[in-house]
Amino acid sequence: MQNIIDTNRFKITNYSFWVWATIIAIAGLVLILSITDQPVPAIYWIVGIVFGITVQRSRFCFTSAFRDFFLLGQTRMIKGILVGLAVSSIGFVMVMSTVAPNPGFGSFPSDAHVLPVGLSTLIAGTLFGIGMVLAGGCVSGSLYRMGEGYIASWVAILGVMIGLFLLNNTWNWWWDNLISQEMAVWIPAELSYSGALGITAIGLLVVLFVALSRERRVTAGFVMPEIKKLDTHETPATTTGEIIGYLKNIFREEWSPIVGGIILAMVNIILFIRFHPLGVVGEISRWATSFVNLFGIPPVDLKGIDGLGACAAVVVEGGSWFTETFFLNVGIVAGAAASAIFAREFKLRVPRSPVRYIQSIIGGTIMGYGAGLGLGCTLGAFFSAVPSLALNGWVYALGLAIGSYISVQWIKRFP
Amino acid sequence: MSDELTVELLDVRGEICPYPMIRTNKELDGRDPAPQTLDVLTDHPPALSTIPPEAMKRGYGCEIEEVAAGEWKIHLFK
Repeated sequence: MQNIIDTNRFKITNYSFWVWATIIAIAGLVLILSITDQPVPAIYWIVGIVFGITVQRSRFCFTSAFRDFFLLGQTRMIKGILVGLAVSSIGFVMVMSTVAPNPGFGSFPSDAHVLPVGLSTLIAGTLFGIGMVLAGGCVSGSLYRMGEGYIASWVAILGVMIGLFLLNNTWNWWWDNLISQEMAVWIPAELSYSGALGITAIGLLVVLFVALSRERRVTAGFVMPEIKKLDTHETPATTTGEIIGYLKNIFREEWSPIVGGIILAMVNIILFIRFHPLGVVGEISRWATSFVNLFGIPPVDLKGIDGLGACAAVVVEGGSWFTETFFLNVGIVAGAAASAIFAREFKLRVPRSPVRYIQSIIGGTIMGYGAGLGLGCTLGAFFSAVPSLALNGWVYALGLAIGSYISVQWIKRFP
Repeated sequence: MSDELTVELLDVRGEICPYPMIRTNKELDGRDPAPQTLDVLTDHPPALSTIPPEAMKRGYGCEIEEVAAGEWKIHLFK
Protein backbone atom coordinates (compact mmCIF):
# COMPACT_ATOMS: atom_id res chain seq x y z
CA MET A 1 0.00 0.00 0.00
CA GLN A 2 2.92 2.33 0.81
CA ASN A 3 4.16 2.68 -2.75
CA ILE A 4 0.66 3.58 -3.92
CA ILE A 5 0.47 6.52 -1.53
CA ASP A 6 3.96 7.71 -2.48
CA THR A 7 3.18 7.87 -6.18
CA ASN A 8 0.31 10.22 -5.42
CA ARG A 9 2.17 13.44 -6.13
CA PHE A 10 -0.67 15.93 -6.07
CA LYS A 11 -2.08 15.55 -2.60
CA ILE A 12 -2.31 18.31 -0.07
CA THR A 13 0.37 17.89 2.52
CA ASN A 14 0.00 21.05 4.55
CA TYR A 15 -3.62 20.88 5.58
CA SER A 16 -4.10 23.91 7.81
CA PHE A 17 -2.13 26.17 5.46
CA TRP A 18 -4.46 25.32 2.58
CA VAL A 19 -7.58 25.66 4.73
CA TRP A 20 -6.59 29.17 5.81
CA ALA A 21 -5.44 30.14 2.32
CA THR A 22 -8.82 29.04 0.97
CA ILE A 23 -10.83 30.93 3.58
CA ILE A 24 -8.75 34.09 3.07
CA ALA A 25 -9.10 33.88 -0.73
CA ILE A 26 -12.90 33.52 -0.56
CA ALA A 27 -13.35 36.25 2.06
CA GLY A 28 -10.79 38.44 0.29
CA LEU A 29 -12.83 38.53 -2.91
CA VAL A 30 -15.98 39.38 -0.93
CA LEU A 31 -14.05 42.27 0.63
CA ILE A 32 -12.67 43.50 -2.70
CA LEU A 33 -16.10 43.39 -4.36
CA SER A 34 -17.67 45.16 -1.38
CA ILE A 35 -15.20 48.03 -1.16
CA THR A 36 -15.32 48.53 -4.94
CA ASP A 37 -19.08 48.94 -4.58
CA GLN A 38 -20.15 45.75 -6.37
CA PRO A 39 -22.54 44.20 -3.85
CA VAL A 40 -24.45 42.06 -6.38
CA PRO A 41 -21.39 40.22 -7.74
CA ALA A 42 -20.35 39.71 -4.11
CA ILE A 43 -23.71 38.08 -3.36
CA TYR A 44 -23.45 35.85 -6.44
CA TRP A 45 -19.93 34.87 -5.41
CA ILE A 46 -21.17 33.84 -1.95
CA VAL A 47 -24.14 31.98 -3.47
CA GLY A 48 -21.73 30.13 -5.78
CA ILE A 49 -19.51 29.20 -2.83
CA VAL A 50 -22.49 27.91 -0.79
CA PHE A 51 -23.74 25.98 -3.84
CA GLY A 52 -20.28 24.48 -4.45
CA ILE A 53 -19.86 23.41 -0.84
CA THR A 54 -23.37 21.90 -0.71
CA VAL A 55 -23.07 19.84 -3.88
CA GLN A 56 -19.56 18.70 -2.95
CA ARG A 57 -20.54 17.58 0.56
CA SER A 58 -23.79 15.90 -0.48
CA ARG A 59 -22.28 14.46 -3.71
CA PHE A 60 -25.32 16.00 -5.37
CA CYS A 61 -25.41 14.77 -8.93
CA PHE A 62 -28.31 15.06 -11.37
CA THR A 63 -26.56 12.67 -13.74
CA SER A 64 -26.33 9.87 -11.21
CA ALA A 65 -30.02 10.32 -10.31
CA PHE A 66 -31.02 9.40 -13.86
CA ARG A 67 -28.16 7.06 -14.76
CA ASP A 68 -28.02 4.95 -11.61
CA PHE A 69 -31.76 4.40 -11.73
CA PHE A 70 -31.57 2.89 -15.22
CA LEU A 71 -28.22 1.20 -14.65
CA LEU A 72 -28.73 -0.28 -11.17
CA GLY A 73 -32.15 0.67 -9.86
CA GLN A 74 -30.66 3.03 -7.24
CA THR A 75 -32.89 5.89 -6.06
CA ARG A 76 -30.70 7.69 -3.49
CA MET A 77 -30.18 10.85 -5.53
CA ILE A 78 -33.70 10.91 -7.02
CA LYS A 79 -35.05 11.36 -3.47
CA GLY A 80 -32.73 14.32 -2.87
CA ILE A 81 -33.83 16.03 -6.09
CA LEU A 82 -37.53 15.41 -5.40
CA VAL A 83 -37.27 16.89 -1.90
CA GLY A 84 -35.38 19.87 -3.33
CA LEU A 85 -38.09 20.40 -5.96
CA ALA A 86 -40.87 20.15 -3.35
CA VAL A 87 -39.24 22.74 -1.06
CA SER A 88 -38.38 25.14 -3.87
CA SER A 89 -41.89 24.85 -5.39
CA ILE A 90 -43.42 26.13 -2.15
CA GLY A 91 -40.87 28.95 -1.94
CA PHE A 92 -41.26 29.87 -5.62
CA VAL A 93 -45.05 30.08 -5.23
CA MET A 94 -44.55 32.52 -2.37
CA VAL A 95 -42.27 34.67 -4.51
CA MET A 96 -44.41 34.48 -7.67
CA SER A 97 -47.72 35.10 -5.93
CA THR A 98 -46.24 38.28 -4.46
CA VAL A 99 -45.08 39.51 -7.87
CA ALA A 100 -48.17 38.31 -9.81
CA PRO A 101 -51.14 37.90 -7.45
CA ASN A 102 -53.57 37.16 -10.30
CA PRO A 103 -52.06 34.34 -12.37
CA GLY A 104 -55.30 34.05 -14.37
CA PHE A 105 -54.22 37.05 -16.47
CA GLY A 106 -51.62 34.74 -17.93
CA SER A 107 -48.60 36.99 -17.52
CA PHE A 108 -46.03 35.09 -15.51
CA PRO A 109 -43.25 36.71 -13.44
CA SER A 110 -40.61 37.56 -16.04
CA ASP A 111 -37.78 36.05 -13.98
CA ALA A 112 -39.43 32.66 -13.54
CA HIS A 113 -38.05 29.93 -15.82
CA VAL A 114 -41.15 29.61 -18.01
CA LEU A 115 -40.19 28.76 -21.60
CA PRO A 116 -41.85 27.77 -24.87
CA VAL A 117 -42.65 24.09 -24.54
CA GLY A 118 -42.86 21.49 -27.26
CA LEU A 119 -40.74 19.18 -29.37
CA SER A 120 -37.72 21.49 -29.01
CA THR A 121 -37.87 21.05 -25.21
CA LEU A 122 -37.98 17.26 -25.53
CA ILE A 123 -35.12 17.18 -28.06
CA ALA A 124 -33.04 19.50 -25.88
CA GLY A 125 -33.60 17.39 -22.76
CA THR A 126 -32.84 14.16 -24.62
CA LEU A 127 -29.58 15.53 -26.07
CA PHE A 128 -28.63 16.82 -22.63
CA GLY A 129 -29.40 13.43 -21.06
CA ILE A 130 -27.28 11.57 -23.63
CA GLY A 131 -24.41 14.01 -23.16
CA MET A 132 -24.39 14.15 -19.39
CA VAL A 133 -24.23 10.38 -18.93
CA LEU A 134 -21.47 10.15 -21.53
CA ALA A 135 -19.47 12.99 -19.92
CA GLY A 136 -20.02 11.66 -16.40
CA GLY A 137 -21.68 14.83 -15.12
CA CYS A 138 -24.10 17.59 -16.12
CA VAL A 139 -23.01 21.22 -16.57
CA SER A 140 -23.25 22.26 -12.92
CA GLY A 141 -21.90 18.84 -11.94
CA SER A 142 -18.86 19.29 -14.19
CA LEU A 143 -18.34 22.81 -12.80
CA TYR A 144 -18.09 21.54 -9.24
CA ARG A 145 -15.96 18.55 -10.24
CA MET A 146 -13.57 21.03 -11.88
CA GLY A 147 -13.11 22.45 -8.40
CA GLU A 148 -12.53 19.02 -6.88
CA GLY A 149 -9.65 18.47 -9.29
CA TYR A 150 -11.16 16.28 -12.02
CA ILE A 151 -9.26 16.98 -15.24
CA ALA A 152 -11.94 15.19 -17.31
CA SER A 153 -14.51 17.74 -16.09
CA TRP A 154 -12.41 20.63 -17.45
CA VAL A 155 -12.52 18.79 -20.80
CA ALA A 156 -16.30 18.32 -20.44
CA ILE A 157 -16.86 22.07 -19.86
CA LEU A 158 -14.71 22.79 -22.92
CA GLY A 159 -17.07 20.44 -24.78
CA VAL A 160 -20.06 22.35 -23.40
CA MET A 161 -18.61 25.59 -24.78
CA ILE A 162 -18.14 23.94 -28.19
CA GLY A 163 -21.73 22.65 -28.06
CA LEU A 164 -23.08 26.09 -27.16
CA PHE A 165 -21.09 27.67 -29.98
CA LEU A 166 -22.55 25.14 -32.44
CA LEU A 167 -26.05 25.75 -31.10
CA ASN A 168 -25.73 29.52 -31.35
CA ASN A 169 -24.81 29.10 -35.00
CA THR A 170 -27.83 26.89 -35.71
CA TRP A 171 -30.29 28.54 -33.29
CA ASN A 172 -32.13 30.48 -35.97
CA TRP A 173 -33.04 27.22 -37.76
CA TRP A 174 -34.57 25.84 -34.56
CA TRP A 175 -36.32 29.16 -33.97
CA ASP A 176 -37.83 29.30 -37.47
CA ASN A 177 -38.89 25.66 -37.59
CA LEU A 178 -39.89 24.87 -34.02
CA ILE A 179 -39.50 27.30 -31.14
CA SER A 180 -41.29 30.29 -32.68
CA GLN A 181 -44.43 28.13 -32.99
CA GLU A 182 -44.29 26.84 -29.43
CA MET A 183 -46.14 28.46 -26.53
CA ALA A 184 -44.99 28.81 -22.95
CA VAL A 185 -47.33 26.97 -20.58
CA TRP A 186 -47.40 28.37 -17.07
CA ILE A 187 -49.57 26.04 -14.97
CA PRO A 188 -50.91 28.71 -12.50
CA ALA A 189 -52.43 30.60 -15.45
CA GLU A 190 -54.68 27.60 -16.06
CA LEU A 191 -55.19 26.21 -12.55
CA SER A 192 -54.35 29.05 -10.09
CA TYR A 193 -51.39 28.81 -7.73
CA SER A 194 -52.90 26.24 -5.38
CA GLY A 195 -53.98 24.03 -8.28
CA ALA A 196 -50.54 24.26 -9.90
CA LEU A 197 -48.82 23.49 -6.61
CA GLY A 198 -51.15 20.52 -6.10
CA ILE A 199 -50.44 19.17 -9.60
CA THR A 200 -46.70 19.61 -9.00
CA ALA A 201 -46.95 17.75 -5.68
CA ILE A 202 -48.86 14.90 -7.37
CA GLY A 203 -46.26 14.80 -10.16
CA LEU A 204 -43.39 14.57 -7.67
CA LEU A 205 -45.17 11.83 -5.70
CA VAL A 206 -45.84 9.83 -8.88
CA VAL A 207 -42.14 10.02 -9.80
CA LEU A 208 -41.22 8.95 -6.25
CA PHE A 209 -43.67 6.05 -6.41
CA VAL A 210 -42.43 4.85 -9.81
CA ALA A 211 -38.80 5.16 -8.68
CA LEU A 212 -39.37 3.25 -5.43
CA SER A 213 -41.45 0.53 -7.05
CA ARG A 214 -38.67 -0.14 -9.56
CA GLU A 215 -35.86 0.18 -7.03
CA ARG A 216 -33.61 -2.84 -6.77
CA ARG A 217 -33.23 -2.95 -3.01
CA VAL A 218 -30.48 -4.18 -0.84
CA THR A 219 -31.59 -6.62 1.85
CA ALA A 220 -33.34 -4.94 4.74
CA GLY A 221 -31.28 -3.11 7.31
CA PHE A 222 -28.72 -1.70 4.92
CA VAL A 223 -26.60 1.03 6.45
CA MET A 224 -23.80 2.86 4.69
CA PRO A 225 -20.49 1.77 6.19
CA GLU A 226 -18.59 4.32 8.30
CA ILE A 227 -15.54 5.74 6.59
CA LYS A 228 -12.41 5.28 8.67
CA LYS A 229 -10.56 8.59 8.42
CA LEU A 230 -6.82 9.02 8.63
CA ASP A 231 -7.01 11.67 11.36
CA THR A 232 -9.35 11.45 14.31
CA HIS A 233 -11.98 13.87 15.44
CA GLU A 234 -10.26 14.43 18.77
CA THR A 235 -9.86 18.11 19.51
CA PRO A 236 -8.58 19.79 22.69
CA ALA A 237 -11.24 20.24 25.38
CA THR A 238 -11.32 24.01 25.08
CA THR A 239 -13.89 26.44 23.71
CA THR A 240 -12.07 26.78 20.38
CA GLY A 241 -11.58 23.04 20.36
CA GLU A 242 -15.31 22.56 20.60
CA ILE A 243 -16.01 25.01 17.78
CA ILE A 244 -13.41 23.28 15.59
CA GLY A 245 -15.13 20.01 16.45
CA TYR A 246 -18.46 21.31 15.17
CA LEU A 247 -16.86 22.62 11.98
CA LYS A 248 -15.13 19.29 11.42
CA ASN A 249 -18.46 17.54 11.78
CA ILE A 250 -19.99 19.77 9.13
CA PHE A 251 -17.16 19.95 6.64
CA ARG A 252 -15.55 16.52 7.01
CA GLU A 253 -18.62 14.29 7.02
CA GLU A 254 -20.85 13.53 4.04
CA TRP A 255 -24.28 15.15 3.86
CA SER A 256 -27.22 13.14 2.61
CA PRO A 257 -28.61 14.03 -0.84
CA ILE A 258 -31.86 15.09 0.87
CA VAL A 259 -30.00 17.65 3.01
CA GLY A 260 -28.25 18.79 -0.18
CA GLY A 261 -31.57 19.11 -2.02
CA ILE A 262 -33.11 21.21 0.78
CA ILE A 263 -30.13 23.60 0.94
CA LEU A 264 -30.06 24.01 -2.86
CA ALA A 265 -33.80 24.75 -2.77
CA MET A 266 -33.29 27.41 -0.08
CA VAL A 267 -30.44 28.99 -2.08
CA ASN A 268 -32.65 29.00 -5.17
CA ILE A 269 -35.57 30.62 -3.32
CA ILE A 270 -33.36 33.32 -1.77
CA LEU A 271 -31.84 34.08 -5.16
CA PHE A 272 -35.29 34.27 -6.78
CA ILE A 273 -36.64 36.64 -4.09
CA ARG A 274 -34.15 39.33 -5.06
CA PHE A 275 -32.82 38.37 -8.51
CA HIS A 276 -33.68 35.30 -10.61
CA PRO A 277 -33.50 31.51 -10.13
CA LEU A 278 -30.31 29.46 -10.43
CA GLY A 279 -28.84 28.78 -13.84
CA VAL A 280 -25.29 28.48 -15.17
CA VAL A 281 -25.60 27.95 -18.91
CA GLY A 282 -26.23 31.52 -20.10
CA GLU A 283 -22.88 32.52 -18.65
CA ILE A 284 -20.98 29.62 -20.23
CA SER A 285 -22.62 30.50 -23.55
CA ARG A 286 -21.28 34.03 -23.09
CA TRP A 287 -17.80 32.57 -22.47
CA ALA A 288 -18.04 30.57 -25.71
CA THR A 289 -19.19 33.60 -27.72
CA SER A 290 -16.61 35.93 -26.19
CA PHE A 291 -13.85 33.40 -26.71
CA VAL A 292 -14.46 32.87 -30.44
CA ASN A 293 -14.92 36.63 -30.73
CA LEU A 294 -11.23 36.97 -29.84
CA PHE A 295 -10.53 35.21 -33.15
CA GLY A 296 -12.75 37.61 -35.06
CA ILE A 297 -15.87 35.45 -35.18
CA PRO A 298 -18.72 37.85 -34.46
CA PRO A 299 -21.65 36.93 -32.18
CA VAL A 300 -24.65 35.55 -34.08
CA ASP A 301 -27.90 37.50 -34.05
CA LEU A 302 -30.16 35.05 -32.23
CA LYS A 303 -33.80 35.40 -33.26
CA GLY A 304 -36.39 35.80 -30.53
CA ILE A 305 -33.85 35.37 -27.75
CA ASP A 306 -34.66 38.64 -25.98
CA GLY A 307 -38.17 37.52 -25.11
CA LEU A 308 -37.14 34.18 -23.66
CA GLY A 309 -35.35 34.63 -20.34
CA ALA A 310 -34.09 31.70 -18.22
CA CYS A 311 -30.57 30.84 -19.35
CA ALA A 312 -30.75 32.58 -22.72
CA ALA A 313 -27.33 33.87 -23.64
CA VAL A 314 -27.10 37.61 -23.22
CA VAL A 315 -24.03 39.06 -24.86
CA VAL A 316 -23.54 42.73 -24.16
CA GLU A 317 -21.18 44.24 -26.69
CA GLY A 318 -18.23 45.72 -24.84
CA GLY A 319 -19.73 44.69 -21.50
CA SER A 320 -17.62 43.73 -18.52
CA TRP A 321 -16.22 40.21 -18.40
CA PHE A 322 -17.00 40.04 -14.72
CA THR A 323 -20.78 39.77 -14.70
CA GLU A 324 -22.89 38.59 -11.78
CA THR A 325 -23.26 35.10 -13.20
CA PHE A 326 -19.51 34.96 -13.85
CA PHE A 327 -19.09 35.10 -10.09
CA LEU A 328 -21.80 32.46 -9.63
CA ASN A 329 -20.11 29.97 -11.96
CA VAL A 330 -16.59 30.63 -10.72
CA GLY A 331 -17.98 30.58 -7.17
CA ILE A 332 -19.32 27.05 -7.74
CA VAL A 333 -15.87 25.90 -8.86
CA ALA A 334 -14.20 27.68 -5.94
CA GLY A 335 -16.77 26.49 -3.39
CA ALA A 336 -16.33 22.87 -4.44
CA ALA A 337 -12.55 23.30 -4.33
CA ALA A 338 -12.80 24.81 -0.83
CA SER A 339 -15.10 22.05 0.35
CA ALA A 340 -12.81 19.36 -1.07
CA ILE A 341 -9.82 21.00 0.63
CA PHE A 342 -11.64 21.21 4.00
CA ALA A 343 -12.61 17.54 3.71
CA ARG A 344 -9.06 16.54 2.62
CA GLU A 345 -10.51 15.23 -0.62
CA PHE A 346 -8.88 17.56 -3.11
CA LYS A 347 -6.71 15.75 -5.62
CA LEU A 348 -5.88 16.19 -9.28
CA ARG A 349 -7.64 13.25 -10.82
CA VAL A 350 -6.25 12.25 -14.19
CA PRO A 351 -8.10 9.60 -16.21
CA ARG A 352 -5.70 6.89 -17.36
CA SER A 353 -7.75 5.76 -20.30
CA PRO A 354 -7.78 8.13 -23.31
CA VAL A 355 -11.34 6.95 -24.02
CA ARG A 356 -12.50 9.01 -21.02
CA TYR A 357 -11.26 12.27 -22.57
CA ILE A 358 -13.08 11.46 -25.80
CA GLN A 359 -16.24 10.70 -23.81
CA SER A 360 -15.90 14.00 -21.93
CA ILE A 361 -15.43 16.15 -25.02
CA ILE A 362 -18.16 14.43 -27.07
CA GLY A 363 -20.56 14.16 -24.12
CA GLY A 364 -19.86 17.78 -23.20
CA THR A 365 -20.52 18.96 -26.75
CA ILE A 366 -23.85 17.08 -27.02
CA MET A 367 -24.86 18.33 -23.58
CA GLY A 368 -23.86 21.91 -24.42
CA TYR A 369 -25.92 21.81 -27.60
CA GLY A 370 -28.93 20.51 -25.66
CA ALA A 371 -28.45 23.12 -22.93
CA GLY A 372 -28.40 25.89 -25.52
CA LEU A 373 -31.49 24.58 -27.29
CA GLY A 374 -33.38 24.07 -24.01
CA LEU A 375 -32.20 27.43 -22.63
CA GLY A 376 -30.76 25.79 -19.56
CA CYS A 377 -29.16 22.74 -18.00
CA THR A 378 -30.37 20.45 -15.24
CA LEU A 379 -30.41 23.58 -13.07
CA GLY A 380 -31.96 26.29 -15.24
CA ALA A 381 -34.30 24.21 -17.40
CA PHE A 382 -35.23 21.62 -14.75
CA PHE A 383 -34.38 22.38 -11.11
CA SER A 384 -35.48 26.03 -11.49
CA ALA A 385 -38.25 25.38 -14.07
CA VAL A 386 -40.35 22.78 -12.23
CA PRO A 387 -40.73 25.05 -9.16
CA SER A 388 -41.51 27.93 -11.56
CA LEU A 389 -44.64 25.80 -12.17
CA ALA A 390 -43.75 25.71 -15.86
CA LEU A 391 -44.63 22.74 -18.06
CA ASN A 392 -41.27 23.00 -19.84
CA GLY A 393 -39.49 21.78 -16.68
CA TRP A 394 -41.38 18.48 -16.77
CA VAL A 395 -40.94 17.94 -20.52
CA TYR A 396 -37.22 18.68 -20.20
CA ALA A 397 -37.01 16.12 -17.36
CA LEU A 398 -38.74 13.53 -19.55
CA GLY A 399 -36.10 14.24 -22.20
CA LEU A 400 -33.33 13.85 -19.60
CA ALA A 401 -34.75 10.43 -18.68
CA ILE A 402 -34.98 9.32 -22.34
CA GLY A 403 -31.46 10.56 -23.10
CA SER A 404 -29.97 8.94 -19.99
CA TYR A 405 -31.66 5.66 -20.85
CA ILE A 406 -30.15 5.75 -24.36
CA SER A 407 -26.69 6.57 -23.03
CA VAL A 408 -26.86 3.91 -20.31
CA GLN A 409 -27.41 1.26 -23.01
CA TRP A 410 -24.22 2.47 -24.66
CA ILE A 411 -22.28 2.43 -21.38
CA LYS A 412 -23.46 -1.12 -20.60
CA ARG A 413 -22.13 -2.28 -23.96
CA PHE A 414 -18.79 -0.47 -23.87
CA PRO A 415 -17.51 -0.33 -20.32
CA MET B 1 -0.28 -12.19 7.53
CA SER B 2 -1.30 -14.78 4.96
CA ASP B 3 -4.68 -13.11 4.81
CA GLU B 4 -3.03 -9.86 3.70
CA LEU B 5 -1.41 -11.56 0.75
CA THR B 6 -4.54 -13.15 -0.67
CA VAL B 7 -6.51 -9.90 -0.80
CA GLU B 8 -6.65 -8.69 -4.36
CA LEU B 9 -6.47 -5.03 -5.21
CA LEU B 10 -8.59 -3.42 -7.90
CA ASP B 11 -7.18 0.00 -8.66
CA VAL B 12 -9.87 2.22 -10.21
CA ARG B 13 -8.22 5.57 -9.41
CA GLY B 14 -8.80 8.16 -12.11
CA GLU B 15 -12.14 6.60 -13.04
CA ILE B 16 -15.37 8.48 -12.40
CA CYS B 17 -18.97 7.33 -12.09
CA PRO B 18 -20.23 4.86 -13.06
CA TYR B 19 -16.98 3.07 -13.91
CA PRO B 20 -15.54 2.39 -10.41
CA MET B 21 -18.76 0.57 -9.59
CA ILE B 22 -19.11 -1.18 -12.95
CA ARG B 23 -15.55 -2.48 -12.78
CA THR B 24 -16.06 -3.66 -9.18
CA ASN B 25 -19.28 -5.47 -10.10
CA LYS B 26 -17.54 -7.08 -13.07
CA GLU B 27 -14.79 -8.33 -10.77
CA LEU B 28 -17.37 -9.77 -8.33
CA ASP B 29 -19.66 -11.29 -10.95
CA GLY B 30 -17.29 -12.30 -13.70
CA ARG B 31 -15.14 -14.83 -11.90
CA ASP B 32 -15.75 -18.41 -10.90
CA PRO B 33 -15.48 -18.96 -8.02
CA ALA B 34 -16.42 -15.45 -6.89
CA PRO B 35 -13.62 -13.75 -4.94
CA GLN B 36 -13.82 -14.07 -1.16
CA THR B 37 -12.26 -10.67 -0.65
CA LEU B 38 -11.53 -7.67 -2.84
CA ASP B 39 -9.94 -4.31 -2.10
CA VAL B 40 -11.05 -1.47 -4.34
CA LEU B 41 -8.83 1.59 -4.44
CA THR B 42 -10.66 4.72 -5.61
CA ASP B 43 -10.22 8.50 -5.61
CA HIS B 44 -13.83 9.18 -6.61
CA PRO B 45 -15.89 10.02 -3.48
CA PRO B 46 -19.33 9.18 -4.98
CA ALA B 47 -18.11 5.60 -5.48
CA LEU B 48 -18.09 5.31 -1.67
CA SER B 49 -21.87 5.45 -1.71
CA THR B 50 -22.50 3.47 -4.90
CA ILE B 51 -20.15 0.48 -4.48
CA PRO B 52 -21.27 -0.67 -0.96
CA PRO B 53 -24.96 -1.25 -1.79
CA GLU B 54 -24.05 -3.10 -5.01
CA ALA B 55 -21.56 -5.30 -3.15
CA MET B 56 -24.04 -5.97 -0.37
CA LYS B 57 -26.65 -7.08 -2.94
CA ARG B 58 -24.08 -9.72 -3.86
CA GLY B 59 -23.65 -10.83 -0.27
CA TYR B 60 -20.45 -8.99 0.57
CA GLY B 61 -19.62 -7.07 3.73
CA CYS B 62 -17.94 -3.74 3.34
CA GLU B 63 -15.42 -1.52 5.15
CA ILE B 64 -14.13 1.84 3.93
CA GLU B 65 -10.82 3.30 4.94
CA GLU B 66 -9.19 6.57 3.90
CA VAL B 67 -5.67 5.76 2.72
CA ALA B 68 -4.46 9.19 1.55
CA ALA B 69 -5.87 12.62 0.82
CA GLY B 70 -8.74 11.96 -1.57
CA GLU B 71 -8.12 8.21 -1.79
CA TRP B 72 -10.03 5.40 -0.17
CA LYS B 73 -9.81 1.64 0.05
CA ILE B 74 -13.10 -0.25 0.02
CA HIS B 75 -12.59 -3.66 1.57
CA LEU B 76 -15.18 -6.19 0.42
CA PHE B 77 -15.42 -9.61 2.09
CA LYS B 78 -17.75 -12.62 2.12
